[in-house]
Amino acid sequence: MIINHPILGPRDAAEFVCLGDACMMDRPDWQADDALDQFVEYGYLRDNPAGEHQELWYHEQGDRSWLVLTRNTLTHEISKVELARDVARARGRDK
Amino acid sequence: MPEFTLTSAPPLAGINKAYGDMHLSAPHDVAIVSISLPLGGEDAALSAVKSAYGVAMPAVGKTATSKSGETLMRLSTDLAFVVFTRATPDAEPVVAGKMKGKAYTTDQTDVWCALQLEGPGAMRALERICPLDLMGFAIGDVARTAMEHLGTIIMRTDTNGWRLLSASSSAGSFLHAVETSIKNVS
Repeated sequence: MIINHPILGPRDAAEFVCLGDACMMDRPDWQADDALDQFVEYGYLRDNPAGEHQELWYHEQGDRSWLVLTRNTLTHEISKVELARDVARARGRDK
Repeated sequence: MPEFTLTSAPPLAGINKAYGDMHLSAPHDVAIVSISLPLGGEDAALSAVKSAYGVAMPAVGKTATSKSGETLMRLSTDLAFVVFTRATPDAEPVVAGKMKGKAYTTDQTDVWCALQLEGPGAMRALERICPLDLMGFAIGDVARTAMEHLGTIIMRTDTNGWRLLSASSSAGSFLHAVETSIKNVS
């Protein structure tokens, strides 16, 4: 599998490590009233879509960047590769 | 009190071998210092690099060499290596002094081993263990990748010249991987 890194171009998937669902980027607020429910969802419950899925990949044997991949679980086609920092900033993070 | 005398020895010191149309050697006195661009202070750090080395920080995947011979390798958005020749173990203060506090610097000299592969057959040997498309490498291009599972930085120094950096802790295995590939094609 080839991952088209947004900065480095096409790279072999062997250089990457997959962490899993990109929902891991959205850590719940631990001070929320329903923090326990939110953390149970965050820690244990995952959607298992047949189709488009967003995943976090780490370019360990490369520039050490975190990526958000949009991958189709039926065809394995990767339709989008973004830097996780850009995705986080677009969601309103400050760093 | 016994008196000890320590002699510094780079992990692959003395490697100097020819195989057919290829030549493999371990360069002497390679000093490596990383430069990290501080969050929010990227522009100041980039201009500090420009005034310290007289060349602009290259784009990711490219290198730039100063008049005094230091090579800047831009490895990722926020990280570059300065590679230069220095025999004494004080590479980091030298670079930190030039950066004037505008970037984070870390001495990387002892954690890397270096090999230089030269010759028309070099690409033939490397393309078997390097997952990147080396045909697409221009002179001066650099990339961080893995060869035989070992993290490697590869730079094209010339039409037939390649500089390889890998972890000093697995230097012997890295040398074995490169040598095996060379022997397989020579």
